[in-house]
Amino acid sequence: MNQFNRLDSYKEMVRIRQYESRILQEYHADKQPAWDIGAGLIPGEMHLAAGQEPAAVGVCAHLKKGDAITAPHRPHHFALAHGVDMKAMTAEIYGRDSGLCRGKGGHMHLFDPENHFSCSGIIAQGYPVACGQAFAFKRRSTDNVAVAVAGEGAANQGAFHEALNLAALWSLPVIFVIEDNDWAISVPKSHSTATASNADRAAGYGIPGVRVENNDVEAIFEAAGAAVDRARAGEGPSLIEIHTLRLWGHFEGDAQAYRGAELETVDERDPIPRYAKSLVDLGELTEDQIVTIAAAADAEVDAAIQFAVSSPEPKPQDALLHVFA
Amino acid sequence: MASNALVGIVANPASALDIRRLVADGSAVTTNHKINVLRRVLAGLAGVGVERVLSMTDLGDSSGGIESLSRGPAGARWPKLDFVEHPITQSAVDTTAAVKAMAESEVDAIVVLGGDGTNKVVAAECGDIPLASISTGTNNAFPSSIEPTVVGMATALVATGRVSREDATHRCKAMTVSTGDHCTRGLVDVAIIDDDKPGSGAVWDAANIVELFLCFAETQAIGLSSIGAHVQPVGRNDPFGLHIRIGSPRVVRVRVPLAPGLLSDVDIAEVNQLDAGVAVKSIATSGVVAVDGERSFRIAADDPATVTLSRDGPFAIDVAKTMDIASRSGVLKDLPTINPT
Ligand SMILES: Cc1ncc(C[n+]2csc(CCOP(=O)(O)OP(=O)(O)O)c2C)c(N)n1
Repeated sequence: MNQFNRLDSYKEMVRIRQYESRILQEYHADKQPAWDIGAGLIPGEMHLAAGQEPAAVGVCAHLKKGDAITAPHRPHHFALAHGVDMKAMTAEIYGRDSGLCRGKGGHMHLFDPENHFSCSGIIAQGYPVACGQAFAFKRRSTDNVAVAVAGEGAANQGAFHEALNLAALWSLPVIFVIEDNDWAISVPKSHSTATASNADRAAGYGIPGVRVENNDVEAIFEAAGAAVDRARAGEGPSLIEIHTLRLWGHFEGDAQAYRGAELETVDERDPIPRYAKSLVDLGELTEDQIVTIAAAADAEVDAAIQFAVSSPEPKPQDALLHVFA
Repeated sequence: MASNALVGIVANPASALDIRRLVADGSAVTTNHKINVLRRVLAGLAGVGVERVLSMTDLGDSSGGIESLSRGPAGARWPKLDFVEHPITQSAVDTTAAVKAMAESEVDAIVVLGGDGTNKVVAAECGDIPLASISTGTNNAFPSSIEPTVVGMATALVATGRVSREDATHRCKAMTVSTGDHCTRGLVDVAIIDDDKPGSGAVWDAANIVELFLCFAETQAIGLSSIGAHVQPVGRNDPFGLHIRIGSPRVVRVRVPLAPGLLSDVDIAEVNQLDAGVAVKSIATSGVVAVDGERSFRIAADDPATVTLSRDGPFAIDVAKTMDIASRSGVLKDLPTINPT
């Protein structure tokens, strides 16, 4: 298993958080009228992953060149942690020609063949795709793995079950990751899911399933490492359900009235300040470093946004290029 | 007989989901399995005359499952079920809150579903309420793996007074461990792990264990206590425990089942009897303290862990003995017709 590096993990979580925070700001900055999601510099819906950074950082720390990830509609944290170029993905989010998909995909469709990263707005859709990738790795006798990420709501889709079945049947090197942030839009897990933990569902397909509580990057790292090791060693798929936190709305503009009292304690449960504190207590991080790490992340995000806004928009005559359906 | 008996039920919805399914052969104990165990317990309780049960509450997990089933046909065969109201945090705090409320309601016994960690949390709050513990965890030295239906029956025999508490239970040992601001009690083992953060919780890597304190060490158990059992077994009723230093220079090497399907070689450097009432300081001055198999907190700087074994742990119902006494004394014959509300 890879060695865990606390400071690097902290930096990566902060990098993601600063990114999401800036996108949040920029998204609303010129949305006029506020209800028109097509308006402004960042068009379309926006699902941000603040609070879920430990999942992406803990899992991606084990991945190497050639490993694949399929992410869902809330993809930025996994994209960044997996090494997708921040500038190219930001340009895509802004709908620019220099974006990963030449500006035609937007924030839910970040495709990066170089890093084997993809995502989709159709929930659970990445699960079968990861099986295909894993099947290819297995056929080619590489030790690469595929990671499929979805929310706990998505785990009630047929695609989730079909993918688990196939991966188990063919013993594919897949790590199924469920980010359980308690909510699927406004639906709590207990109203959508017939079992308390999706780890239980793994048992039905004869594969190991674990649940990691507390949104703790170190615990996630340990579990993901064990699952990745199994997959690389040819022992087949595993499922990890990570209990995480949706710090903000389902999408930007979500008033979250349905969350009730739970919303009052989200800030206390924010994993990043909590982790910073534990590293300070351990003597591995100083208050000064907290500031400089955030500033370094801000500078990188600034540059990415600058790159995006200064890139040209796609030309109207290219509208039908690279479009398959 | 005392038909106003009230039995508490604690079912940890989070047991048996940790990393030991990946690094060892820990099996899934699914929520639906836990619900099934609860059904069997409730049937056993009802069959021997318990008419009221007070259960903990969860987010629609095992207790939630029982709650909705109790409104259907199964409910007619069960004792009347009430649920403790407490805020749900999806953490051990829920168990603590539930057991506190059960103690306030003066339950006659508590059935606990979980592993060693769950029982530890219950024991901290239950006072002298007898416990009947059923294993739904991964490594279980404390709870038994007896058929839940029979556990329900034995618990009912004690709760209704048909078998006396004195005959049915034994008082367990416990250990208090303290360092810095932390002070907690364990029922089976306290281990010092050479690490600086609790990580994923469960202890499964033998290479990191440096020191061990055990209340008892039975040869048929798996987990940390098996390390002691393989050098010097200690029974639950023996008035002492064990203190073991692990590493070099070794006096002996044992191969122990540390988790399901996981055998590990452990080098024993020193073994001492741990006497009740004597505060023993850990030799290790740094590391993480694991209590009942769960990495919990770091040893504070300048304050090695202090461990004290005591004989004032919870009262545990001995299911086999209780059933035996009941049978021999005739109380299992001609039980009254069940007529729950
Ligand atoms: C197949 C499909 N059905 C419905 C939707 C609409 N939709 C978008 S996100 C979402 C909820 C997803 O919840 P969850 O999987 O828990 O992920 P989270 O948003 O919490 O990250 C739904 C139903 C969709 N995108 N795709």
